Amino acid sequence: MACTGCALLCEDIEVRDGEVRHACRIGTAHILNRQQIDPMVDQEVVDIDDAIRRAAALLADAERPMFLGFGNSITETQATGVRLAEKIGAGIDPCSVHTSLIDDIVHSRVKTCTLPEVRDYADVILFWGADPMNTHPRLMSGYAYYPRGKNRQHGWETDRTAIAIDVRRSHTASICKEMYEIVPGRNIEFIDALMLALRNKVPKTVYDSKRVLKLAGTLKKAEFGVIFAGPGLVGSVPRGAIIRLMDKLNEFSDFRILPLYSPYNLRSIAAVDTAAVTTATTVMADAACEHPGGCTPTLASLREADCLLCVGFDLASSLPQACDIDASIIVIDPSETLTAGCADVVIPCAAGGVDLAGTAVRMDGAKIDLPCITKNGQTGAGARTRVSDASIMNRLLEAV
Amino acid sequence: MPEIKFDQFLAAPEREIVIVRYHDIFQTEAALKHGKFSKEYQDLSAVIVLDPVDMKKIDAGDGDPVKISSEYGTVVVVAKKSEGENDARANAGHSGVGYMPASVWSNILAFGSTPVSAKVSRSQQKISTVGELTRIQRLID
Repeated sequence: MACTGCALLCEDIEVRDGEVRHACRIGTAHILNRQQIDPMVDQEVVDIDDAIRRAAALLADAERPMFLGFGNSITETQATGVRLAEKIGAGIDPCSVHTSLIDDIVHSRVKTCTLPEVRDYADVILFWGADPMNTHPRLMSGYAYYPRGKNRQHGWETDRTAIAIDVRRSHTASICKEMYEIVPGRNIEFIDALMLALRNKVPKTVYDSKRVLKLAGTLKKAEFGVIFAGPGLVGSVPRGAIIRLMDKLNEFSDFRILPLYSPYNLRSIAAVDTAAVTTATTVMADAACEHPGGCTPTLASLREADCLLCVGFDLASSLPQACDIDASIIVIDPSETLTAGCADVVIPCAAGGVDLAGTAVRMDGAKIDLPCITKNGQTGAGARTRVSDASIMNRLLEAV
Repeated sequence: MPEIKFDQFLAAPEREIVIVRYHDIFQTEAALKHGKFSKEYQDLSAVIVLDPVDMKKIDAGDGDPVKISSEYGTVVVVAKKSEGENDARANAGHSGVGYMPASVWSNILAFGSTPVSAKVSRSQQKISTVGELTRIQRLID
C-alpha cells in the first residue's frame, strides 16, 4: 500500500489490525487520522446532500470563483475539478511555491531525475531550503543519503556527500557533512556568489568566499549531483535564478533538481496543461508556507474572487487574514481545518490512499497506484463511510 | 491593596528580530492526530525559538510569553531558548533571528515565505488562541 502523508508516496506500507508498519511518524498519523468533520452550511450541521446543493448554488452564482488546493487529491478528482473550473470559469491555484519549479521540470527547462536514480547514482546531494528530516522523514533512508545504490555501494559513508544550505541549522543540516548558513532573505546573493565561484572567480559577498569556493569545487567534481529544492529556496528567489544556476552547474558536471514539497499529488495538478491552473509566477509570487510545501496566494488575488473552493487546503492556517475577506468559502477536506471553522459550506470527503483508491504522481513524476488502505471505506472503529471528493466534484459538476 | 512593583509601568525592553519559519515533524503529527484546534497542536505551534542573547536583552526566560509584532500582525507566543548552546552545530548563535514553526501563529506575522522583521518583547498576556488570530470563534479542546 502507498502512504499519502507526503509526496514521497512510500509504497511499502502495511496495515494490520489497526497497526501501521513501515510508515514514518507523519504517515502513521495520516493513515490513522480519526478526525472527522460534519457537513455544514453556515456553521450549522446539515445533511451532506444539502451541503453539496448549497455549494453548487454558491458556485453557480459566483462571478469570479477561484479554486485553491487539489494537491492533496487523487488525480481523478483533480481532473473533475479542472472540468468544473473550466465550466464555471474559475481559476485553480494549487497554492504552492513549487508549482513554478514543477512547470520548469515538466517543460525540461531544468534537468531532473527519479528517486531510484538518486539512490543508485547520486554522489553529491544538496538540501537547499529543505529539511526532509521533518517534512519527508523517509527520504534520507529510502533514496537520498543512507541507502546503497547500484553505483553507490558504500552509501553515505564514502560514496555520498550531503550538503545543507539553509537559513537555519535544521535536523537535516545536523547530519550533513557541510552546512552553509544563509542570511535570512539573502538566498539570491548566495546563488550569485556560487555562480561566480563556479567560474573560478572570488565572490565579493556577505558569505565566506573561501567556503563558497570550496562548495563550488565540490559541486564541479560531482558525477551525479542532485538538488532537493525546498520552499526555503523556491519561495525566496526569482524563478529564473534556479534555471541559471542549474545551467551553470551543468556546464561542469551533471546536476539534477527535485522539488521537495508535501502535498502528495501536487505534481499532478501543477502539471495540468490548462489555462485554468495558475503556475505560480503571478499569484504565487509571494506565497506563504504553512505546511511543508503548502502555500497561499496573496490576499489581493483572493479579494478579487467572490467564491473560494478550498480542496484539501487550509487557507485560514496559511493566510489567517483570509478569514476576513468577503468571498464565500467552500471547504472539501477529509480532516478538520481552520478554514472549515469560518467556511460557508463544509463538505467532508474520503482521504486519497486511505479510504479512497486512485492514482497520484510522486514528486519525481512516477505514477503511483493508491489502493484503499482501510476496508469498506472506514478509517477505524466507529468511523463513518466518507464520500470521495471525486464524486462530490462530479455532483457539483452536474449541478452547476 | 495589590503590591505595586517598581517596573510595573515601564515598557518591557524590545528587540528587533527577523522571523524565520520552519517545519516540525511533531507539530505536523499533532495536527493530524489531534487537529489544529487542539492544545497539543497549539503547544507545539505557538512558540518562538530565540537565541540566549536575545532572551537576555528582552529579559525573558525559557517558557515566558513574548509579544511579537510585525507590520502585518501581532501575536503572543511562548519563548524557548535555543537548544545546545555549547554545540557548534546546534541552533545557537543566531542572535537577531527567531525561529517559529509554520502555523497560524507565525503566518499572522507575514505574507509570503520570505523572512519578516518583527519586534519581540516580554509579555504579561496569555498565549494567542486560534480564535483571536482568525475570526473562528471556536474553543481549543
